[in-house]
Amino acid sequence: MIDKMAELKDTSELMVDLAYSSLLLNNRELAEEVHALENRMDDLHTEFELLVLTRCITPEESKDYLGLIRLALVSENIADAAAQIADVVLRGLKPHPVLRLAIREAEETVMRVPVSKGSVLVGRNLQEAQIQEETGMWVLAVRRGDAWLRPRPDLVVKEGDTLIAAGYAGGREDLKQLASGKPAQT
Amino acid sequence: MGTLDRIQYRPIPVRDLLVEMKDMSELMIDLAYSSALFNSRELAEEVLELEKCVDSLAYLLDMSAMIAVRNPSDAESLVGVSVVASAIDKISDAAGDISAIVLRGIGIHPLVREVFEKVEERLIRVEIKPESILVGRRRGDLKLASRIGANIIAIRRGRDWIINPKEDETLQKGDILIARGAPLGIEELRQVAEGILKNWRNRRGARRKAV
Repeated sequence: MIDKMAELKDTSELMVDLAYSSLLLNNRELAEEVHALENRMDDLHTEFELLVLTRCITPEESKDYLGLIRLALVSENIADAAAQIADVVLRGLKPHPVLRLAIREAEETVMRVPVSKGSVLVGRNLQEAQIQEETGMWVLAVRRGDAWLRPRPDLVVKEGDTLIAAGYAGGREDLKQLASGKPAQT
Repeated sequence: MGTLDRIQYRPIPVRDLLVEMKDMSELMIDLAYSSALFNSRELAEEVLELEKCVDSLAYLLDMSAMIAVRNPSDAESLVGVSVVASAIDKISDAAGDISAIVLRGIGIHPLVREVFEKVEERLIRVEIKPESILVGRRRGDLKLASRIGANIIAIRRGRDWIINPKEDETLQKGDILIARGAPLGIEELRQVAEGILKNWRNRRGARRKAV
């Protein structure tokens, strides 16, 4: 139950980050990821509620459990709000310049980049990897198998991960090279 | 519930309104979770105040957007702004719902504390000890966000709460900080505030890429 609730909270916050990114970059792919996560949230939330309901709850405990149910609902509501933001992109509305300005400096590009064996990133956590210092790109999310992971400083990069990163176009090649494990072409 | 403030149009740029709403909604979520985690009615009440602010800003934003529309193309472009603003409003409402759990005494299950030990973004409540290197430093000078990926979202000083402290806020001994951030950074901040750590751990081995 603890794990489910933690996942609900983390996923909802990741969705908000990705939704803003999808808007900032007017990127359908990121917006679609937000929607995929929304489905995941719905499942998780149902599983969580069922878990609570199948506990044998005494009258004294009922208030505490109600608090839990309400907290989970909050994550669900936040996830809905994120999906609403992503919808603006999916509906193909011309993004108003004010949106980009408001979500901070307009960024030039978003990319997904697979991490290959032999890349210097493998086995390092994101803090050690210093991706932003090296490339100017920052990691929005890490795709590992079917899971989306948030880019925590202590997240260790593994071979086969896919990084979703945003930044100036000039950083694209740098990041690709960093993730590919091939030596720099000079 | 108190009375609602009367809304009157004020010429504030949509961009400023949106930035303020976004920042506020994010702050509110963190404050609201803190109020639940540290069982603070006062923080919960602060969140409700902020929620009222966001509601008012949402009205102002919609009015500004309406005034700006002159043709169908404007409308298509600005409807997105309005949808995003309403999503931000929803996020702030969600924060309000967390505070309501605290204020109505519904109860925070002990499990919640365990949940917060597993989530990716942590919250702490820590008192600044007299021997801490934080004493007398301005919040902005600490560069917590870039140094350790953490941020001070509120300070309790005596009986007062300083919500979302400004850059030039000087930290004092006895201040109780509410901060959010990644687990490692939050732990480092705790040790620094408690005077256990006399210096920031220097992680930036930043060798610049040889060009």
